[in-house]
Amino acid sequence: MEHFFLPASPTSPEVSFEFSRHALSIRGESYPENAAAFYGPVIDSARAYLALCDGQSIDVHVALAYFNSSSTKMLFALFDALNDAAIFGNEVRLHWYRDEEDETILEFGEELRDDFAALEFVDCVLPARQA
Amino acid sequence: MQYPQFQEFWHAASKRQVIFFYAGYFSQHVVSAIAETIKARLNAAGTAGPTSRRIFSAFVEMSQNIMHYSADALTPAAQPDRQIRGGAFCIGVSGDQFYLLCANPVANASVEAIRGKIAPLCAMTVDEIKSAYRTALRQAAPEDSKGAGLGFLTMARDASAPLTFQFLPDSDDAGRTVFCIAATI
Repeated sequence: MEHFFLPASPTSPEVSFEFSRHALSIRGESYPENAAAFYGPVIDSARAYLALCDGQSIDVHVALAYFNSSSTKMLFALFDALNDAAIFGNEVRLHWYRDEEDETILEFGEELRDDFAALEFVDCVLPARQA
Repeated sequence: MQYPQFQEFWHAASKRQVIFFYAGYFSQHVVSAIAETIKARLNAAGTAGPTSRRIFSAFVEMSQNIMHYSADALTPAAQPDRQIRGGAFCIGVSGDQFYLLCANPVANASVEAIRGKIAPLCAMTVDEIKSAYRTALRQAAPEDSKGAGLGFLTMARDASAPLTFQFLPDSDDAGRTVFCIAATI
């Protein structure tokens, strides 16, 4: 499958799904005007890829410094699709990057661990950003 | 407005330690530009990381609410994106806390629905808010929501005191009510 790439904008993250390397990453900040419109194609492309995976080892890197409430809901849908792929025999590692001071991202990561138990959750702590 | 009146307005805002004020139309570009200045302002003032992130989060939820739901719209309601809608937003300092306020007109018919969403949050403890947030995260988005139905819960989660809100008559239009909400961070 072809590489799915969206460059970062001031209010939306960079999305880089290198399907041939089985490496999916989302980085930056996420508060687009319409999160459903932004994440719709992202989730569709991930689903199309996951449908072709069988016994595959997949690395997902999510490094979001901030996401708004409507992005939260869309990310949950994406992780749900990844979790399904893990249930159906793939090995999916979710590398969850968070600033060491950021409780909100830590707590959201904990929600993910609770709900998507088939994912291998890798907590990646980044040193606090300097003021 | 003449310069002396402008100066009076400016002094009044400074005296109340208003660090940001905007009244007018909100589009995604405006939200993005304000976001940049707020971040730079908090960073330059040395505001602690977690506080700064909570202020930023409440700002995004409030300003996007104005852009999505204000009754004062420059763009057709049916248009799904590039919405431009009117309201006012302010951040101020009070002692060692920050407060965020926003206001926008809504149709009179929407008042009770909005009150029904926020009033319960104002009476919840921190643990109850977190639990309601977790429940809403796993539910389908409400039909009348353009986001996730998580906006007010997110504001309540980021605030250090209960949210407060008020409905005031809109002096320009009897069919509208001005909805105001405040968060203390």
